[in-house]
Amino acid sequence: MSALTFTLKIQPRQRVDLSPLTPDNLAGKPAAEIAAIELYSGKQKLRADTVFDIAGDDASNIVIANSCNKLDFIGHGMKTGRISIHGNAGSYLGLQMRNGEIVLHGDADAFAASGLSGGLIHIHGNVGDFLAAAIAGDKQGMKGGTVIVTGNAGERVGDQMRRGLLLVEGNVGSYCASRMLAGTIGVFGAVGEYAGYGMRHGTLLLTQTPALHATIQDCGLHTLPFLSLMFKSFSNLPTKFAKINKNRVQRYAGDLANDGKGEILVLQ
Amino acid sequence: MLIKLAGGTVYDPAHQVDGKVMDIYVRDGRIIARAHDGERIDREYDLRGKVVMAGAIDMHTHIGGGKVNIARMMMPEDHRGDPVAHSAFCRAGCGHAVPSTLTTGYRYAEMGYTAGFEPALLPTNARQAHLEMGDTPIIDKGGYAMLGSDDFFLRMLTAKQDQNAINDYVAWTLHASQAIGIKVVNPGGISAFKFNQRALDLDEQNVHYQVTPREILKALSRAVYELGVPHPLHVHGNNLGVPGNVETSLKTMGAVEGFPVHLTHIQFHSYGTEGDRKFSSGAAAIAEALNKHKNVSADVGQILFGQTVTASGDSMRQHANAVFGSPRKSVIMDIECDAGCGVVPFKYKDQNFVNALQWAIGLEIFLLADDPWRIFLTTDHPNGAPFTSYPHLIRLLMDKSFRNDMFAKLNLDAQAMSTLSSIDREYNLYEIAIMTRAGAARLVGLHDRGHLGVGAGADITVYTNNADREKMFAKPDYVFKDGELVVKDGQVVKVTWGHTHTVKPEFDRGIEKEIKKYFDTYHTMNMEHFKISSEEIAEGGRGGVVVHECKGRREKTA
Repeated sequence: MSALTFTLKIQPRQRVDLSPLTPDNLAGKPAAEIAAIELYSGKQKLRADTVFDIAGDDASNIVIANSCNKLDFIGHGMKTGRISIHGNAGSYLGLQMRNGEIVLHGDADAFAASGLSGGLIHIHGNVGDFLAAAIAGDKQGMKGGTVIVTGNAGERVGDQMRRGLLLVEGNVGSYCASRMLAGTIGVFGAVGEYAGYGMRHGTLLLTQTPALHATIQDCGLHTLPFLSLMFKSFSNLPTKFAKINKNRVQRYAGDLANDGKGEILVLQ
Repeated sequence: MLIKLAGGTVYDPAHQVDGKVMDIYVRDGRIIARAHDGERIDREYDLRGKVVMAGAIDMHTHIGGGKVNIARMMMPEDHRGDPVAHSAFCRAGCGHAVPSTLTTGYRYAEMGYTAGFEPALLPTNARQAHLEMGDTPIIDKGGYAMLGSDDFFLRMLTAKQDQNAINDYVAWTLHASQAIGIKVVNPGGISAFKFNQRALDLDEQNVHYQVTPREILKALSRAVYELGVPHPLHVHGNNLGVPGNVETSLKTMGAVEGFPVHLTHIQFHSYGTEGDRKFSSGAAAIAEALNKHKNVSADVGQILFGQTVTASGDSMRQHANAVFGSPRKSVIMDIECDAGCGVVPFKYKDQNFVNALQWAIGLEIFLLADDPWRIFLTTDHPNGAPFTSYPHLIRLLMDKSFRNDMFAKLNLDAQAMSTLSSIDREYNLYEIAIMTRAGAARLVGLHDRGHLGVGAGADITVYTNNADREKMFAKPDYVFKDGELVVKDGQVVKVTWGHTHTVKPEFDRGIEKEIKKYFDTYHTMNMEHFKISSEEIAEGGRGGVVVHECKGRREKTA
């Protein structure tokens, strides 16, 4: 069996909602039925085979080739299988995904991994704003699972994040971990202003000391043995965080304006 | 334009037509007796073997006003989860529990409904409600103005003003808010909530105004009757959803002292306190009382399982229910000191004891109430379920074995507490036509709707008879609105704009002097701005205002 491959053959004029194209949803469907799936695009619906050349038959291994940043909601709510994307992805990549794996070889737009509750999203590229953040109307962002970004991320990374592991190997914008509820965010590069703004709980792990705002308080230098265990647990993840072997950190607590039980750890 | 609907099997309870094969003629949007000799028939529809009824009327559905918009804003997941694409005739939309206005109109029409009435039109929010309803295509609409917890009225009661003054104020409100009836929600309770009372029983005093719900009900039901407003006072009683509230509901029926009254979503007011869990069905007592009190009518407010949102003016009860919200969020607010608003998302589950019993209680009331002219088919959209579940509900009423199959899947403890499976009654098409057409039109006071007699507006729905009543009622073959074919095979084929139905009873304009003084002292807007003119509703060409007759001041009947 070969991977079920959707090769984008048009330049979409509007954004296209790819929610139906998940391994769970396509499992067992004959090719003709997959071709006839209707995808929302703006106020219209497009048949899948007018947007993509479709080849292959293994729905548990979906490939989206020649992808562009107008393809939204890739892997929406998926529970099993794997989606690989070659090219850029639009917004809401892996929205409310429960399990499985998404690998993106390109950049993603806003709200990637929002509502993710399990599985792995591995982005070989940059992402826009609101990575793992809650979309309007939701009360929580990412709720579990693992996200690895090799490039940079925009603003509001992990806004209202509830659980899970979010690792960004590049830089992130302002308001990283804002209103964070719990979970772990690691950033290898630089972070913008107002890191941990309104943070309630959770851990933001950094390698460089950022400019912190007034209600984040310095709690001094600590040696935290659990960090060695945590980095060890990363050993099977394809990320350079797995190679860190340090447990000496400068610890900051905050946001004191909002319960103040979050922590920002800066590796020394 | 002359249309002939030939050979359909007609159910028109307003004229005692029960399944008679007959032709119907429509000229320029009105039903006529027959064509003139030699007159050319522009369009003939062969309806042999089809079921023909008037367009259905939903006499209690939350389709406009602040709380619906709050529900929409609060539940973006409801909108994301149910998108509707643009088509050749319809604009795009979205929403399952609280659809966008356009989608609401299309979906109603596609189910054969041609009118819907917003039951909680706050006078201070009436403009917003009319604007939303003005954006709801195809169906006719109207609203019941909400009184009973507003400061001006409660001050009148405290001051023991005479009934004539109250009548004038009620009539003024109907004019100002362009409504067709008066509704009272948790009489006095919304106001009492603001004075830190968390429950208010029928004979308990509002601590601030020193008036009881009983006095409010008496004054308002009498006012509505004496003004000759066809729709009786629309009552959402005290203690909604509280186990044991069946006693309150029974007392409420007596509290109006013989004046006509409509008890809305009665299912939510029919709970006893028997059994291990202190929650039981009061349906038998309610149905018996309904059968006995000829001045009382009710709609059921059936719940059906799934995700929805509860939107109510009853901020007192919604505040108590907010902890049960799913997803857990809510809005409870005061509106201009005149009313309240509570919006709580809710998911009814068939394995939950309380929800399962609520489901059974609603159906028990439907089946135990004898007179279909005084019981109405509603889910209190969206509170019990979205209106799109009506075909399913109709099947539950018309098909005993289907009902029992559904019942058998419920929470076992709830099954043990219900007598539903022992009730053999099945509604027939004639009775469904009464509940959803003739009865509803009579109750609301629409003289030219809900029937197929000469002179009626040609709102007509044609179904293919099908033993699966859910399929039959979900997808009518044809729906005509004012004589125009708007739906074919369950799909909108033409978008028209319905009328806004109102009443304008006579009253002594002298009351405006008092009201103006009140507005100038306390209100956030000028009294003249508060009033909505008919021109305002008609502008934009989306249907005008229809005024229904009020038969003057009447003597109280025994």
